[in-house]
Amino acid sequence: MSRLQADHLFKVFGRRPADESDAVRALAAGADREELREDGVTAAVVDASFVVEPGQIFVVMGLSGSGKSTLLRMLNGLLEPTAGRVLFDGDDLTALSPRALREVRSRRVSMVFQHFALFPHRTVLENAGYGLEVQGVPRAEREKRAAEALELCGLAGWEKSWPDELSGGMQQRVGLARALATDADLLLMDESFSALDPLIRRDMQDQLLVLQKQLKKTIVFITHDLNEAMRIGDRVAVMRGGRIVQLGTAEDILVRPADDYVASFIQDVDRSRVLTASAVMTAAEGPVDPDAPVVGPDTLLADLCALAAAGPHPVTVRDPGGSALGVVHKEKLLAVMGGLTPEEVTLRA
Amino acid sequence: MPRLPLGSWVDSSVDWLQAQFSWLFDAVSSGITGLYDGIDAVLSAPQPLLLAGILAVAAWWLRGLAAGLLAFAGLVLVDSVQLWDEAMATLSLVLVATLVTLVIAVPLGIWAARSKTVSAVLRPVLDFMQTMPAMVYLIPGIIFFGVGVVPGIIATIVFALPPGVRMTELGIRQVDAELVEAAEAFGTTPRDTLLRVQLPLAVPTIMAGVNQVIMLGLSMVVIAGMVGGGGLGGAVYRAIGNVDIGLGFEAGVSIVVLAMYLDRMTGALGRQVSPLGRRALAKARAATARRRTAQLWAHRPQPVTALVGIVVLALVAGGAGFLGGSGTTSTTAAGPGGGHGKKVSIGYIPWDEGIASTYLWKELLERRGYEVETKQLEAGALYTGLAGGQIDFQTDAWLPVTHAQYLEKYGNKLEDLGSWYGPTSLELSVPSYVKDVKSLADLKGKGDRFKGRIVGIEPSAGMMGILKDKVLKEYGLEGEYEVVDGSTPGMLAELKRAYERKEPVVVTLWSPHWAYSAHELTKLADPKGVWGEGDGVHTLARKGFGADNPEVSAWLKDFELTEKQLTGLEAEIQETGKGKEQQAVRTWLDAQPGLAERLAPQ
Repeated sequence: MSRLQADHLFKVFGRRPADESDAVRALAAGADREELREDGVTAAVVDASFVVEPGQIFVVMGLSGSGKSTLLRMLNGLLEPTAGRVLFDGDDLTALSPRALREVRSRRVSMVFQHFALFPHRTVLENAGYGLEVQGVPRAEREKRAAEALELCGLAGWEKSWPDELSGGMQQRVGLARALATDADLLLMDESFSALDPLIRRDMQDQLLVLQKQLKKTIVFITHDLNEAMRIGDRVAVMRGGRIVQLGTAEDILVRPADDYVASFIQDVDRSRVLTASAVMTAAEGPVDPDAPVVGPDTLLADLCALAAAGPHPVTVRDPGGSALGVVHKEKLLAVMGGLTPEEVTLRA
Repeated sequence: MPRLPLGSWVDSSVDWLQAQFSWLFDAVSSGITGLYDGIDAVLSAPQPLLLAGILAVAAWWLRGLAAGLLAFAGLVLVDSVQLWDEAMATLSLVLVATLVTLVIAVPLGIWAARSKTVSAVLRPVLDFMQTMPAMVYLIPGIIFFGVGVVPGIIATIVFALPPGVRMTELGIRQVDAELVEAAEAFGTTPRDTLLRVQLPLAVPTIMAGVNQVIMLGLSMVVIAGMVGGGGLGGAVYRAIGNVDIGLGFEAGVSIVVLAMYLDRMTGALGRQVSPLGRRALAKARAATARRRTAQLWAHRPQPVTALVGIVVLALVAGGAGFLGGSGTTSTTAAGPGGGHGKKVSIGYIPWDEGIASTYLWKELLERRGYEVETKQLEAGALYTGLAGGQIDFQTDAWLPVTHAQYLEKYGNKLEDLGSWYGPTSLELSVPSYVKDVKSLADLKGKGDRFKGRIVGIEPSAGMMGILKDKVLKEYGLEGEYEVVDGSTPGMLAELKRAYERKEPVVVTLWSPHWAYSAHELTKLADPKGVWGEGDGVHTLARKGFGADNPEVSAWLKDFELTEKQLTGLEAEIQETGKGKEQQAVRTWLDAQPGLAERLAPQ
């Protein structure tokens, strides 16, 4: 299991290296990146620090121009940080020689792209086996492992096809299979589902979650879609203007937005599909009604609504062990769905 | 504005380069000549029909049966107009030029695609190469590489290189950046990224570049023909010089046949070589697989098989040609006499008296045991070649007036072996049906009838200077007439057009000229003698030729023909037809008993 750490990462594009290091100093002291732009310096990523624990899906969310793709490319050394370090399994990637860095990219980190980036002159099987080919794995083994990866992604039987014969969703499954075939621990996904239409996107998100349960990779996922971020992210970093403005779980961000920007951002989020019973429950007062419906603390509010509407009693929340954690009152459920924070609800009550 | 001596800088750097790097130019020249001779030998060895068959089979393989049949028909047409040898020479020239161009252009294109600096530096250089008129660097090309196929090939390379470089660069640059990034993200080395991703995907564009290179190469064959490149270009050059519309068309059509063949074949080859193209072919094949006949028609072998097959057939054909040894090209018949196979090279401008005297001497010298090579050249190229020593002598120097500028430049590198015909004359001429104009003075006041134009030739020609500076002034024609600059073929075409419509026209002409036998023309009298004394047609040799070949040199010094003899020989050549000049000379010599003995006594 691998752990990824970004340590005060900066990426600045300037005309001369001296301009770039000056800019980093200024930014670290709190300078605005708009001021720097007048000097012909573009600050893409400013002082980004985070840790991704093994087996986590870490989502970086931001609008275009927020620096999220640049950040991702520093994690596997496609871009060299202007300042700061990337630590992966304790190795400082920024200190590696180009050759050693290629070795890391070939064996320990793999990437899935927004527009799939499948090689049009290779079959599906050859595409899936590309990373292994770079590693120098012999043909027979390469094809076997590529076929396994394709099967894992639900593409068994399509090995001989060509990328342009597949639908977008299937093409991205090939992209995913290509990334999984190398057995890299760290998976970088750059807006991987953004080019797909909504239904397919949902399928792919589900499949990624299913695969992740089985494979337990460390995943960094870039998206501009907050719903997607909330849905698949164990932890979410919201970026704006090159800086990480908030870092936390989906619920943290939804319930306690760090600033107005994040708050305005989360307005469109479907809260019922992010928040869970634990966010709206209150401690049970008195004995629990035995007829009341029972749910786990992870139940999404969307599922809770139907149950709550079905009977007169508050819904009971129990942990998997069976002990009661609390109850959900309809009033509070509605208030939270309506956008009030649980604290505000408590205050008004 | 001070005059920047750009021209003289170039002049002196050409001299300097010639002095310092002649070993390099010689090496390049012999390398290219070797390549050209090798390819030409292979192409010329088999019988025309056999080779046409091989090329047609290649077309069948690459494109299908219809293409094969059309290719065969086109090539047979070339053979039937007796331009096969020329076509093969041109094909060899284009193939060599293409080969060398690609060897240079593809790596340069790759380099440019990978480095913005290189790309930025290359762009103006390529623009320069592509737009600089070829004749400008052809003459220095002759100084460096001598006359013959090499400067033609070099000029073709210079002209065809830019699209090769540009298309390679474009092909690599237009490969989706995400694909390149994907390759890098999986740890591919830059070299493998190029070989496994960028180049395979750039192949269609690069092949379009190859196609462009070949087409531009073919468009340069006429220019190459002007500096001794021979082949179809030489035929076209001669045809336009003599306004021989028929020959020009035949040679032109032959070039078109070659061009179409090469275009379609490289297109098909591009699809075979490109992975994506192969896929498209496989798809098409799968679509037609249901119908048995369609399957048969659509059958295409793998490119490797096709290539091996063509090479094997070519070798077989080459071997058959060598074994057959029909020896139809034996111009080296070593007769008795003092030549002992010594090599002599004669250059000529494709003017009638030049062709006639050159082939006369080719025949005479071969009868005396010399091995003679003739090269058809443009005047500037001829003098440059002569001064450089690649040409031994030429028989068509108009001195002291018309070719004065060449003598001024190269006089100290030449030997004048004297005049063999003369005097010549420069004049303005009108068709004889223009009854009332007999002399230059008669032109005055008739400007309206001639639309105020005197149809001139190349502005660089000596007689154009005399006409504009002296003749018009002396006869008071300034203002009334304008001298139209142009070219000799253009002037002759205009004369022919006007003559056939019986329109009045004034042209600049000189004697001897075949136009006087083709049309009835009046040479306008020059009572004031402004045109000056006539020239003599001189034989000029390279410096040192007399010492190297005292026998030939002595014969040439005594060489003389009367007007009757020259026009008789020219007429014989005209009647016998193109490509058979030497045969015509033999016939003519046979009818002049003892002349050969007198011209080249043993």
